[in-house]
Amino acid sequence: MTPGRTVRLIWFVTWFNVRILLASEFFILTTFIAPLIFATLAFFLFRSGGGTAGQTLLYVALGAGMMGVWSTTLFGCGGAIAWQRWEGTLELLVNAPSRYDYILVGQTLGAVVFGFYGILATLAWGVLLFGMPIEATYPLILPLSLLAAIVSLGSLGMLIATTFVLYRHANALGNLLEYPIWLITGLLVPVATLPWWVHPISWLLAPTWGMEAIRGATIGAAPPTLAIAMCFVLAVVYYIAARVTLVFVLAKARRDATLSLQ
Amino acid sequence: MAASGAATPAIEAIDLVRTYQTHTGVLRRRPMTVEAVRGISFEVKPGELFGLLGPNGAGKTTTIKMLITLLLPTSGAARVMGFDVVHDTTAVRQRIGYVFGGDRGLYDRVSGIDNLRYFAELYGVEPSEQRRRIAALLELVGLTGRENEKVEGYSRGMRQRLHIARGLLHDPEVIFMDEPSIGLDPVGARELRQTVRSLVDAGKTVLLTTHYMFEADALCDRIAVINAGRIVALGSGADLKDAIAERTIVEIETFGVTDEAVERLRRDDDVSAVNMEERDQSQILLVQSERGAHITQRLLSLLGDTRVGKVVAREPTLEDAYVHLIATTGHDEARAARAASVQ
Ligand SMILES: Nc1ncnc2c1ncn2[C@@H]1O[C@H](COP(=O)(O)OP(=O)(O)O)[C@@H](O)[C@H]1O
Ligand SMILES: [Mg+2]
Repeated sequence: MTPGRTVRLIWFVTWFNVRILLASEFFILTTFIAPLIFATLAFFLFRSGGGTAGQTLLYVALGAGMMGVWSTTLFGCGGAIAWQRWEGTLELLVNAPSRYDYILVGQTLGAVVFGFYGILATLAWGVLLFGMPIEATYPLILPLSLLAAIVSLGSLGMLIATTFVLYRHANALGNLLEYPIWLITGLLVPVATLPWWVHPISWLLAPTWGMEAIRGATIGAAPPTLAIAMCFVLAVVYYIAARVTLVFVLAKARRDATLSLQ
Repeated sequence: MAASGAATPAIEAIDLVRTYQTHTGVLRRRPMTVEAVRGISFEVKPGELFGLLGPNGAGKTTTIKMLITLLLPTSGAARVMGFDVVHDTTAVRQRIGYVFGGDRGLYDRVSGIDNLRYFAELYGVEPSEQRRRIAALLELVGLTGRENEKVEGYSRGMRQRLHIARGLLHDPEVIFMDEPSIGLDPVGARELRQTVRSLVDAGKTVLLTTHYMFEADALCDRIAVINAGRIVALGSGADLKDAIAERTIVEIETFGVTDEAVERLRRDDDVSAVNMEERDQSQILLVQSERGAHITQRLLSLLGDTRVGKVVAREPTLEDAYVHLIATTGHDEARAARAASVQ
């Protein structure tokens, strides 16, 4: 396949996946509604604690939005595989003449990009209802932070998806990964406030650095260079791991008939 | 490794075997091996319409899944258009289309045409070709005018037709259809058969599976009857009929026939098979015999005081041939699938 066709394919799959997610009540709830609820609760908590500084509101809103991004990544990449298996489309996708890893890249990007719309929704909500100021200490770095976060979460999503291709019951695991990751990647409270032994786990997870890159560019005291770099490093590591796993997973699926529910 | 030309079969299966590892029991799970396909060989010529006919659980789907590269054979080999299904997967996938029966395998929340556009891209249809190709396929399967509706509102038949359009997007040379008429009403099933015919008329090779004997007979150039993972007969509908052509079928309508009476018929030396169909008030015994119509009197006396209605002696049909093949080759699981059959 020519590079042009490959780009077109990935773009096509991304866009199609965004449309599928838009048509799903579950994802509207996960990506748009749930973060608004979290943000609202947090705003009220902070307000009753007397802390109404604009920066705190922004910190909270971005965290709530990122929670939505993580949930959307988890369910839009991993959970989507389980749904495709159930719908009977997984076999069609894996068995198409196009390379399945490109299809997965497109699906993953679709989910993550969709998730980031949720951040916009949360910010708009904060501005409209709580008079949250929209400001960024490093406005020129912010686009790079967003890109870094999208790429690293996308790569992680792809790694999650490959394992879901393999295991028919991976969805149960997926559900377990939602709330703990919110907590240990610093979306709710800073990682520094968590027990020391959690820190190494946090450092291996893309949302930690993605969040830090975005918060750093908006309310940080220094440019989030390390966080942005870590996003790209982790993205490469996840992507290589996903590609290696996928070769193994696809071979096993053909051997063990795991792609369909019979 | 690849080759094309008139001599190359479109599909070649060589002693295909496939087993599944599963578990039995809910609490104490014991590993279990299911021998789904136990050594199947056949060849399909280019442009041929070939049928795999067999009861549920015979191994039809498993065979197809091996041929379309979805499953690895446990042993044996297969080639499609000369390409090995284990190693040359991309070459095989580019040349085949497949359609599974049932209503799975579509994106319900978007329109029919969006489904087709998506798969056209995945199947590598040239962008400049896509629009024309999709329009032609919508026309072929009779969905023109409904393509912008969401698939969740489609009827069973419309879904099935959309599946077929999907399977044909990249203009494949070989088309696999797994029970394509399942769940369709008689009109839908007839339209489907016309579509399948038109594909073959257009030069495609088609392998379809069905558990309806009449469908196989009406459509297929050749039929492989498959039972419990093995091919038990292979030939044209006429060939299969010939295998029992010298037999006579005596249809006896009875009212409340006892198992012992059926057993007496079965044990008679001149009777080769007895099949029973339950009706509302009565039972129809289909007795196969090699002795011609004059056996009728004997059969009636063997039935003793059973109340008997209409009695007809006739030539065997393909259905009789099928029933005979399945009954004489079946293992227990296959036999259980056909409820009221007594051999
Ligand atoms: N994924 C699977 N795991 C375990 N057993 C299977 C699986 N798929 C099919 N089987 C078993 O293999 C046999 C053949 O099935 P199948 O090929 O689906 O038959 P058919 O399509 O003719 O109805 C059946 O006994 C079925 O239960
Ligand atoms: Mg089947």
